[in-house]
Amino acid sequence: MTRVRLNPKAPGPWPLARVSRPLATGLWIWLVATLFAINAWGAQDKPAAPPAPPADNKPATFVGSTTCQGCHEDIFNAFQKNPHQVVEKDKKRGFENNACESCHGPGSKHAESMSAADIRNPGKLKPAETDKTCLGCHLNQPTHIGRLNSSHAKNQVSCVACHSVHKNGPNGMVARKTADINQQCAQCHTDVWASFQKPYKHRLPEGAMSCVDCHNPHGSFLPRSIQTVNANEPTCFKCHGDKRGPFPFEHAPVRLEGCGACHQPHGSSNPRMLTRTEVRFVCLECHSNLPGPKPPANGTLGTVPPGLHDLRSPRFQNCNLCHQKVHGSYVNRDFFK
Amino acid sequence: MRLLLALILMTSAAVAQSEQPPSQAAQAPAQTPAKPDEKPADAQAPAQTKTDSPAPSTEQWVSGTIDFGYRWLTDVRGNFQEYRSVVNLGEGPKLFGVDLTFLDPKKRLFDRLDVRAAGWGGDPYNTAHLGARKMGIYDFTFDYSNIAYFDAVPSYSNPLAPAGFNEQAFDTHRRNMSFALDLRPGKHIIPYLAFERNSGYGHGIDTWVQDSNNEFAVPTLLRDSTNNYRGGVRFEYNRFHVTVEQGGTTFKDDDQSYYSGVNYGDVPPTTKILGQTEVLYGLAQAYGIRGTSIYSKVLFTANVNDAMNYYGQFLFSEPKTTANFSELAAGGFTQLSSLLFYSGQQNIGTGVANQPHTSASLGWQGRLGHRLRFMDSWMLDHSHDAASSLLAQQLLLATATASPKTFDPLAYTQVVNYNQNQFDVMFDVTSKLTLRGGYRYVWGDATVLAGQLSQTGTLAMGELSRNVGLAGLTYRQSEKLSFNLDYEGSSSDRIYFRTSLNDYNKARVRAKYAPNSALSFQANFQVLNNQNPAADIRYDFQSRDNSLAVYWTPKAGKLISVMGEYDRSTLNSNISYLGLFLAPMTSSYYDRAHTATSAIDFNCPKIPGFKLTVGGSLFIASGTRPTRYYQPLARLTFPLHKHLYWNTEWKYYGFGEQFFLYEGFRTHVFTTGIRVSR
Repeated sequence: MTRVRLNPKAPGPWPLARVSRPLATGLWIWLVATLFAINAWGAQDKPAAPPAPPADNKPATFVGSTTCQGCHEDIFNAFQKNPHQVVEKDKKRGFENNACESCHGPGSKHAESMSAADIRNPGKLKPAETDKTCLGCHLNQPTHIGRLNSSHAKNQVSCVACHSVHKNGPNGMVARKTADINQQCAQCHTDVWASFQKPYKHRLPEGAMSCVDCHNPHGSFLPRSIQTVNANEPTCFKCHGDKRGPFPFEHAPVRLEGCGACHQPHGSSNPRMLTRTEVRFVCLECHSNLPGPKPPANGTLGTVPPGLHDLRSPRFQNCNLCHQKVHGSYVNRDFFK
Repeated sequence: MRLLLALILMTSAAVAQSEQPPSQAAQAPAQTPAKPDEKPADAQAPAQTKTDSPAPSTEQWVSGTIDFGYRWLTDVRGNFQEYRSVVNLGEGPKLFGVDLTFLDPKKRLFDRLDVRAAGWGGDPYNTAHLGARKMGIYDFTFDYSNIAYFDAVPSYSNPLAPAGFNEQAFDTHRRNMSFALDLRPGKHIIPYLAFERNSGYGHGIDTWVQDSNNEFAVPTLLRDSTNNYRGGVRFEYNRFHVTVEQGGTTFKDDDQSYYSGVNYGDVPPTTKILGQTEVLYGLAQAYGIRGTSIYSKVLFTANVNDAMNYYGQFLFSEPKTTANFSELAAGGFTQLSSLLFYSGQQNIGTGVANQPHTSASLGWQGRLGHRLRFMDSWMLDHSHDAASSLLAQQLLLATATASPKTFDPLAYTQVVNYNQNQFDVMFDVTSKLTLRGGYRYVWGDATVLAGQLSQTGTLAMGELSRNVGLAGLTYRQSEKLSFNLDYEGSSSDRIYFRTSLNDYNKARVRAKYAPNSALSFQANFQVLNNQNPAADIRYDFQSRDNSLAVYWTPKAGKLISVMGEYDRSTLNSNISYLGLFLAPMTSSYYDRAHTATSAIDFNCPKIPGFKLTVGGSLFIASGTRPTRYYQPLARLTFPLHKHLYWNTEWKYYGFGEQFFLYEGFRTHVFTTGIRVSR
């Protein structure tokens, strides 16, 4: 296939993609070397993470959870029913009887001085360091397969931003009820929550759904941390199974761009959460290429409808009145049936 | 339903008679006011406090709440069908919510059992949850939801259609049910099994399309279901994890349309086609669609050492469907292409589609010292659709003879490839400032059925090539102030659709400021600017969204707590398209919206449990579809006994559209009920 750029004056590809391989390799080496240099410069700064070094320079040692109980009895008691309690009892995890110190680090100095400066508090560390503490155990779990590459991780939203590590009971670690989940997400994603106040939306404010029905807050291999269903299908098909197909006659945008090509999934002023007020504009904005032997270029999928469509007539202004199987058809290429 | 309510009442009474002291957690004041749209049951739910020292648990075997009551609606003024499309709440006795937790002190069958339900009693959204867990032995969850989808929007049908018909309207329910059982949770080897079912049923108004002359609104029955079975084993060790899962689905879809009578369709009977009136006297149409799928899933994560993490996954699914379709229609019809008059037609169709779909991703994160992190990730996605179809048609001519059968066979292969590589660097300049940058390259190709109108036409091909630069920073002055910036800029060589992301810039700023423990602010700003300057496209898209939220809970909300959110969004879109007679025209879409949400909670320390909430939300949009949607509310919770509360709520729904006045509605909804807690 010939690659033709539709508009020669349009901006070209990213410069790095056009340079030759040796030059690209050189650029990468330069970039890495620069980063090393920056790292060395940055290392001169005082590291912020754990506490100030103890005066006698002796490393702190483990003192056991019962020592922690002496002062933090409420946390200790609550912890007995916490899922993390398994760390206290399981020899294989390496912190038997030292569950508190598995996250907070050795506590002998803190036990002596009773100073908060002598103990590590993951909730107050840099988010990346907090994550490192949590993922030391939890990275090796399937829910965290996308964590490292998730937008939450990249935006320094640490695990403890959503999880209450000490809370009692398996449901105390994180919001489980639909309304609680939505409330927690909405505290940061206020703009998204505003979309759910529109008339046509998924039923989140009513408590019928929660944000995590569609998004995996730990990350996913799909954009926007979209959950997957049936291994690698977008989560939309979890509830809208009749739209999944495969269809003998597929509508290309469903496969290539996803439901968001035509719908605003959080909420819209337009019925059926469409991106445009009138159905015809949803369709015609793509279906405006003249048919012909034109080589593929920018945005040429979708040809103009034939002349019998009198767009002045209400009959032809809602395309899906006839092309009703617009998500895909089993028997008709025009999506009539 | 009455039986269920009676049962709930008896259970509530039994729970209320308990003399166990309430848990301290249940009395904890809310640190953040509840959103106004939450159910009353949730307004009083124990709030998630952010304290590091939670209260110790008590040993009572059951705790939780039950909410039930009655809802009234004033007459819905305006368009009742639109009310159902947007709100759809009904009158009658309701079980608003159940949230019970059972603890077995002897840990016989379970350590903990959670039961939750909401919206029972004819509400459009019913949910239920059951969770049972015994540490180290099993973890079982069951979830159920039944969501009603009603849609009859006059502006989306043809106003020329005969009265009583709302084309493309539907009144359906979608049910989701899932069971999941993990064995040996918390151990190194964890087998698991799960079953999920998604089904839809209901009815609607579809159209039967006759050639290009006319289409006839006909009632249709909708029924489909998808069952998903899966099982696997997770191996979770300190240095690595592997999950192996095998699953399968079955699918069936049995939509049917049936009509008997005189139906002139969307073309008035006075309009003759070649001198003949198009009319449908009878239709029987049925689909029999069956599908199966198998899929496999392998996930892994590994920590080689503290500085290197790897992750990857391989996902494969192979859904297949077979379709059998038959249709018999009688009436008076015209086929313009062959100037043929006929009185009936029969269509028989079959279709088969087989779509192997493979996805894989691989990534790693490396750390250099405490400050520098690298991440590289690859993603491949390949789907391949082998499909064939045969549609046979026979017409019954006006002379009572049958026309020769025509066949439209098709066999093709559709291929879609998507690839992505992304490299990110994150550098902690100081303990408070993190910078990041990266580069993403996305490429792919597609051979699809697009742009060809013939049933047996050729395939269309498209390519995708997009280079994206990424940047961002995070600044955390302290726990009180944080600031986050994301930027993404792209230049695309090739895209699939005229409205696809082409040359775009996307930025988002998110800031949080909490001057003290009682007051916090959250602000968001985001912008997306997408351009496709090609001469026959000229796509210019810009959206902006600004939001500000304030949360004020003085004295941990003992007396008052306030939540307010305001959002201003604008969207401008212009694109050239070919209109009537292929004349170049511009499609312009504008949306300028104000959205506000608030909730003010008043508590009375002298009356523990007393709470008055006023607030609600409003949405005002101008532009292409000016819309106003108001939902103010007031809610009162009054304690009758230490385990018994009286809840009452008023909410108003007012909806109007400037260009579609006939779609507006307004109504008051009153709810009252009892909440039993323990």
